[in-house]
Amino acid sequence: MIKLILTFILLCLTFPALAENIPLPLDQFAELPILHDGRLKPLDSFARLELQKFSGKNKNAVAWLAEAIFDPSSAVEKKIFLIESSFSRHSLGLEERQKPLYSYAELVEGLEKTSSMIADLAKIPQKQLKKDQKDLLLVHENAIEFTHLLRSLSSLLPLNITLSKNFRQKANLGKDDSVTFLTLKAISPEIEDRVRTIIKHKGENPAKYSSKERDLVTLGWQYQTIASAGQGNITLRVIPTLQTEDWVSPWELINDGKGSPLTIHWIQDWQKLAKAWQENNRHNWEEVLYGMRERLFYEAPQNYSNAKIELEHLYNQLSPFTVSIFFFAGAMIFGLLRMARFPLSSGFSALFLTIALLIQAGGILTRIYLMGRPPVGTLYESILFVALIAPLVSWMVERKIKNGIGILSGGIAGTFLGLLATSMAGDGDTMKMLGAVLNTQFWLATHVLCITIGYGWCLLTSVLAHIILIGKASGKISQETERNMIESITTNSLFSLLFTTVGTILGGIWADQSWGRFWGWDPKENGALLIVLWLVWLIHGKLAGQLSEKIWIAGMAFLSVIVGVAWVGVNLLGVGLHSYGFIEGVFWGLGMFSALETVILFVLVYILREKRQNSYAN
Amino acid sequence: MNVVIKMICSIGLRLSRPDILFWILPLMMILLIAGTVAQKSFGVLNSQQIYFSSFYYTIGLIPLPGGISLIGILFVSLLAKFLFKSEWSWRKSGTIISHFGVLILILGGIVTFATSKEGYLTIGEGQTSSAIEDYHERQIVIRAGATSVYEASFESLKPGTVIAPSSLGFQITIDKACYNCSISRRAPKDQDGWTVPGKFMQLNAKDNDPQDEMNLTGIEFHVSGTKNLSDNKYLTFDKFPKPPEIKIGPKSYVVTIERAKRPLPFSITLQSFKRDFYTGTDIAKSYQSYIQVNDNGQKWQALIQMNSPLRYRGFTLYQSSFDMSGEKPFTILAVVENKGRVFPYIATLIIAFGLILHLAIRLKRDRT
Repeated sequence: MIKLILTFILLCLTFPALAENIPLPLDQFAELPILHDGRLKPLDSFARLELQKFSGKNKNAVAWLAEAIFDPSSAVEKKIFLIESSFSRHSLGLEERQKPLYSYAELVEGLEKTSSMIADLAKIPQKQLKKDQKDLLLVHENAIEFTHLLRSLSSLLPLNITLSKNFRQKANLGKDDSVTFLTLKAISPEIEDRVRTIIKHKGENPAKYSSKERDLVTLGWQYQTIASAGQGNITLRVIPTLQTEDWVSPWELINDGKGSPLTIHWIQDWQKLAKAWQENNRHNWEEVLYGMRERLFYEAPQNYSNAKIELEHLYNQLSPFTVSIFFFAGAMIFGLLRMARFPLSSGFSALFLTIALLIQAGGILTRIYLMGRPPVGTLYESILFVALIAPLVSWMVERKIKNGIGILSGGIAGTFLGLLATSMAGDGDTMKMLGAVLNTQFWLATHVLCITIGYGWCLLTSVLAHIILIGKASGKISQETERNMIESITTNSLFSLLFTTVGTILGGIWADQSWGRFWGWDPKENGALLIVLWLVWLIHGKLAGQLSEKIWIAGMAFLSVIVGVAWVGVNLLGVGLHSYGFIEGVFWGLGMFSALETVILFVLVYILREKRQNSYAN
Repeated sequence: MNVVIKMICSIGLRLSRPDILFWILPLMMILLIAGTVAQKSFGVLNSQQIYFSSFYYTIGLIPLPGGISLIGILFVSLLAKFLFKSEWSWRKSGTIISHFGVLILILGGIVTFATSKEGYLTIGEGQTSSAIEDYHERQIVIRAGATSVYEASFESLKPGTVIAPSSLGFQITIDKACYNCSISRRAPKDQDGWTVPGKFMQLNAKDNDPQDEMNLTGIEFHVSGTKNLSDNKYLTFDKFPKPPEIKIGPKSYVVTIERAKRPLPFSITLQSFKRDFYTGTDIAKSYQSYIQVNDNGQKWQALIQMNSPLRYRGFTLYQSSFDMSGEKPFTILAVVENKGRVFPYIATLIIAFGLILHLAIRLKRDRT
């Protein structure tokens, strides 16, 4: 397999002068649509996802993609494979580097060497594989995916093959036209016939052939090599089939007979685009792209929306959820400065929080528009949404208590949730299609939003409780502020109870609709119920006087751990309907967080107890 | 009479005291955590039985109250609080309504626990079925043609158990019974007296899988008294495509291990099953069973899909699973009877209304 790919790469023409030329503008190219993972997205998104997968970063992804598909022989030299596992590096025979990035060309030998080991590993169930083995498998999977990308346009690219005058005439090639796979395909019946005749008369030993015959047999072999390398290549699904909402790759058009008189224009466009890129011809490049955009406007199927593609490109470039973290952090820092009575900090903290909220809301609204569904369908999306809800609630709290603590709590919640979301973005594709059972607008808009609002409210309540505990322990909080904040925590805990209770029961009703039982003691259901019980216990314990105010506040602060366990932790069990599988980093992260919170709260309660005893003694 | 009322009142007042709730809730949280974590090792079903559907459970040697006990006490305490200690005022109206909603919710849980039955229908495309199979209960069935002549639960089968109904004219002696069996090759020296395929394969007991559906239940047995070549050793297991056939005179009997069945009072014909993917992916977008309901000569068509079940005559049929590995697709529809299913819907509305009212009164009071 790998040898076949290398053969194709060797057959491709190389373009050595490119690196010195002024780079072509890539914005229009980045906004060409591609069907990938069930969703039509801009090439920009596709390029970012692929490069992220290989190298862990997605900077200049579109330029990288252009090179990979238009100039494979240069792309194989680029160091894009991040191999952090020393076991994998060792198995592949790679040299050690400060930054373990390797090119495809450097990997090839090691991939060949480990192919039998991989064949054995592939037979072992995923769960039984060790981390090292999984890492090595991943290198192979990524390499295969990259090779699919390299040869995705191999049917259209000019080849380093010289044809006889006779064949050029038969293939209708002009004087300056390059030979491509399509040219060879047009004359392939004759090539195959003649090769068969040669073998019939002279056998399979090339030594017996004349030089002309040898050239012809080589040509036949080259044609077969490229054809077989393109089998099943559906990586670059950029050509609309017009009759349906399906988009196909150039190889699918050729192999599966999905072509039509209209798709031929697309093939020609991609061919011209490749040529313009290879020649670094800006005029032709822009002209072809303009033509493609025009054609999309008039001929694209219904699932194409130019506005969505452009917006997604903009969304990728702006990366709103990264930007919002900075503004949340700004609100937090100025909120802290306000506590130290730093001039102007009050206005700045409010301004930063407002901007952060607007960006967060804008990002979420963009996602709703792009995905055409309510905002929360995955764990990552739930964190984004909670990072909007908790600071929003903090605004309401600020309006009531008017001392900056509301904004400070919003800044803290927004910053930490934003960072959490970044770490939970997984393989980078945060806009995956949802499985069948989640494919329901109604329940995503009711149960999921309700329970996520509940999580957000709980977390904000927890942050407020932390602030009051720290304030009391450090003696930096007035009695009036303390009274106001306790009132605020009480009200917010009731809102938290409302949303988590109704959200949990709505979840039960969804389960009744989908699986025929209201309550199945699924870990996620139990997690949600745990939050409800915790809140009910605290609220009733305080009302009945069984919990002191100090313990009650500490209990409210501990909501962060309860919510963390219920929201993220239960998924780690790997059982039930909401299982996302065990993620080691998340497990340890949550464990550390819970332990740290427990220690902090114990210490704060201890300090408060000591203070109280001292005040009695005095 | 007065004494009785007084006594009821004093018991009610005691039960309504908040200290009961104060201790019940942490115990419930411990139960929730224990029962959830245990699912990792015991599976959902076993954990439910051990923790949530039990009166007590143990952590190490410490006995703790199980789901039934805790929910029972919570219900009684809340009912007592509701009846004897509610402060019937406008200020407390939200709380009272919410508490009433929780009572309805628990009541619904009790009704569901007592009355709900679950099972599933497996129907091939073009086929009709009205036999609900149980998810968990396995049984041995001996059939003559399509008629069942003997049925017994799997639990009753132990090595040495003899099955000899007089109508059969032969007896079956169980040699091995495993709730979860693995299959291995039978050594040549042990093949004497076995019929094919038992001659070449043997069942071995292994630990039960936490997911009950994954347990492959089977038996090895020998037959005596047929006075012909059927006096042999056999094996059979759940979903075995070629169960053993025992011939005696002109009659032949088939011995199967299968899920316990009960009839649906109407039948379902699967007209077609469709699975849609998002274009170019293996992510399922929808599963759809186009069915026909046949009831007392009446026929009509319906569509069952994810999040859109069919409800008819107290039964709810859900799209649960499918099998497309064979020549024609099979749909698997979960069938649930639950007399308590309406309770959560009512309870949600009441609890939400109560909590919103409580918050509204509180916020209004704060303003004034």
